[in-house]
Amino acid sequence: MTKRFGEITALDGVNLSIEDGEYVCVLGPTGAGKTTFLRIVAGLLEPDEGEIYIDGKCVNNLPPEARDTVYMFQQYALFPHMTVWQNVSYGPEIKDWNREKVEQLTAEILEMVRLAERRDAYPHELSGGMQQRVALGRGIASGARILLLDEPLGALDARLRVGLRTQLRQLVKDQGLTAIHVTHDQEEALMIADRVVVLRNGRIEQTGTPHEVYSRPNSIFVASFVGGANFVEGTIIGSSDAGSVMEVLGGLQIKVAVSDVGAGEKAVLAFRREDTWVGEEEVAGSNNLPGVIVSATFIGDSMEYEIRLENGVSIVSKILMSDAFKAYTEGQRVVASFPPEKGHVFPYPVMGLLKEVEAI
Amino acid sequence: MIQRMTRSINPSRLVVWATLIGLIVLVLLPTFYLISYVFLKWGDVWVEVFENPIIGDENWRQILKVLFFSFRLSLSAVAFDLLFGVPLAYVLARKQFPGKGLLEDLITLPLVIPTSGFGFATLITWTSVAGIGGFLGMNTGVIPLDAVVPIINVPLIVFIVHVALTFPYIVRTLQTKIQSIDTTYETASRTLGANPLTTFRNVLLPLVLPGIFSGAVLAFARSLGETGATLIVAGVSSTASIAIVRWTAEFKLATAAFMGSLLVIIAWALILPVERYMGREKRSFKTSYRLPFSLIKRVMRLERYASEKLTRIKDFAPIFVLVLTVIVPIIVVANSVISYWSADPYTGKVQGGVVYQLFGPANYFNTLVKASLTSIIVALVSTYVSTCIAIPLSFIIARRWYGGFIRSILKVPLIVPTSSLGLSVLLLWGSNGLNLVGSGIWLIILTHIAFSVPVIVESILASYEGSDIQMYEDSARTLGATAYNAIETVSLPLIKGGVLTGFILSFAHSLGETGATYIVMGRDITVPALVVNMVEALAIPAALFTSTYLIVLSMILLTIIRFTTRR
Repeated sequence: MTKRFGEITALDGVNLSIEDGEYVCVLGPTGAGKTTFLRIVAGLLEPDEGEIYIDGKCVNNLPPEARDTVYMFQQYALFPHMTVWQNVSYGPEIKDWNREKVEQLTAEILEMVRLAERRDAYPHELSGGMQQRVALGRGIASGARILLLDEPLGALDARLRVGLRTQLRQLVKDQGLTAIHVTHDQEEALMIADRVVVLRNGRIEQTGTPHEVYSRPNSIFVASFVGGANFVEGTIIGSSDAGSVMEVLGGLQIKVAVSDVGAGEKAVLAFRREDTWVGEEEVAGSNNLPGVIVSATFIGDSMEYEIRLENGVSIVSKILMSDAFKAYTEGQRVVASFPPEKGHVFPYPVMGLLKEVEAI
Repeated sequence: MIQRMTRSINPSRLVVWATLIGLIVLVLLPTFYLISYVFLKWGDVWVEVFENPIIGDENWRQILKVLFFSFRLSLSAVAFDLLFGVPLAYVLARKQFPGKGLLEDLITLPLVIPTSGFGFATLITWTSVAGIGGFLGMNTGVIPLDAVVPIINVPLIVFIVHVALTFPYIVRTLQTKIQSIDTTYETASRTLGANPLTTFRNVLLPLVLPGIFSGAVLAFARSLGETGATLIVAGVSSTASIAIVRWTAEFKLATAAFMGSLLVIIAWALILPVERYMGREKRSFKTSYRLPFSLIKRVMRLERYASEKLTRIKDFAPIFVLVLTVIVPIIVVANSVISYWSADPYTGKVQGGVVYQLFGPANYFNTLVKASLTSIIVALVSTYVSTCIAIPLSFIIARRWYGGFIRSILKVPLIVPTSSLGLSVLLLWGSNGLNLVGSGIWLIILTHIAFSVPVIVESILASYEGSDIQMYEDSARTLGATAYNAIETVSLPLIKGGVLTGFILSFAHSLGETGATYIVMGRDITVPALVVNMVEALAIPAALFTSTYLIVLSMILLTIIRFTTRR
């Protein structure tokens, strides 16, 4: 599908198919077109081009209420003039189900989201987390099989957000629903999804299981947006089945995973911060890059070192605070090392490296 | 599955067309007709205004004279309003103090109070022995009827009435604007070392200038069009709006229509540019004019001094003005009813008492009951019909791409001087035009619909914009509600407060409207028009009673508004 707003193309030829019962996370930076995508699926926006099929039927001409989808707003959009009970029973009521069935279902769902005691409260009397649960309950009660979640955890504080991730997934899975969950939080997406779709400037950049997207990013953007990485520019000097070799600034030769980039072409090497080890001695079988510690940042469960390599390039290493952990101080000479198979090579981007990484 | 087919039936187009036709015929057509009338009958107008065989261009001179009078009056009233209104708006927007709600009500009062009753109260209070004069032991009023404001050459009593009636527009508009601006800007300026006055001048003023501007234009338009109170206090002098009433009564229709279209065009020329300007939200005035540094320093030192010394004056002077122009007249008129109840307290004659005039040979009581009935029927019918148009119209304005355009032309009946509006309705529907509706209650209703629709629409839109209706409606849709269901179960309940407020506001407005009604009413007198008649017949005690009755009625309505808007 394609959607334009005036001169801006919000979605550019997005093509995606989702299995029944799948939990899909659409991940992308602000302005990538995530919400537009979701609103089109829900029927709140019309696509300029393309078709949406649900259960094999084209739903382009169906109004939002006739699709098998329910859209959950980031701000929940709980009706302020209705109680929790009225909010949750709104879907079934409006579809004119019989009274007994509505009451039974609403009671069940309130029990499920653990809000049975607050059934007569108004939305503004509830905490953020409770409101989120009401919104979720209301969506499920409507009977739609497809949940469209627009940053469902975005309005909550960090602690609560992490706790609710697994609950959210569990609830969706228990009910056998299909969910499309839009977020800009890569950690959330990796943790919660069966499949992650990385969206950028209205195009799908990569689709895959969280593990695939994380460990085998197919672009500089994905490598940088999902998990973050070190980037080093250089030129490929040779490839074999075992791997490629790349020459970076200062004549240093680095062994990397097999790549399609031909010999003699400019390329960008990406390797994860957490795949980069810091030590005083070289590690056998790894790429060893000598340098000097520039700064050390403590972030609780791990330590981040910024290292200036001898060729002037700066990289970051993230090391877990384990028993093997050894502290280094600024100015200390160290060797940064990473295994060749963890080094991914991408063709040098037309717009330059910075442009790719900055788009985040 | 059957339910899914309902989308093909689309009622909204029908509703849109019906609403737009109602809007055009009932609200907009009269005003446009007035202007086209002048063009169509230009020959008559030319003869009557410029080349009258008997008096020559005397009518044209009269038009110029009243226009200049009106302009002097309106401009000076607005200037005075600004002087006291800006600090008051600031205090109301930024400070919390006991009695604030009451103060806000008092400021709003002149918006709901029937103007003829209010005008009479002011007249009695300042120029009659029954007012403050008698209270101070004088045997005349405090202000002689012929007292004139120097320089602008406008009778003082007229000036006072216009200040009181236009004050709310400045204060309320500006207060809302100031409230919409984050206090952190001011706090930042204060912590950077600027005193309150300097902060106001450098930070807040540039941000709220559009608000001041639009408030001033509204106040100006209101003053230009004010008829009810002015009719009572004007004496021999005449504003443009009153001239229309008088000329219509004298059957100088061409002159009145010419004058009316002049006023409409002037009001338009004033308000439309401001509307456009206000439409661009982010706009702010550039105020970084370069002054010599020594001068800036002196100004700031002065401001610091003033900040320290003037705090109390700044807080209390506007309230003092408010008390003098609004509260005192109301108290005085209510008090006078009591002292005039059985007989004139000065001459002792029973003929000068309220009871005698109401129930005596003049039998004003009977007239009053009839007028009340007329007023209430008019207010109910016109407000009901207007609400029926206003609700779908508000949705159209909020949803459709041409909504902004409709909203700005809806301002027209609000700013058009009421007597012009009355005249245009009379010309369109009455015997000189389509000849469908003669003077009387139905014509009054048609006139009132024209200004009630915009009042209700603005009120609904205010509550519409306050909440995120579109989101709630979308949410309802994906939960399975059809477009119609979503409006019924979600949107309408959410804007209920706005509809109710608009209904009461328009009801109060209709109850108190004098200028337009006076022109179209024929034999079906409404209560405010009755006050004018009583004053002209010099039945002062009866007028006192009727004014008090009107003021009490509007205060009750205001109280109801407060309850409905508070939630």
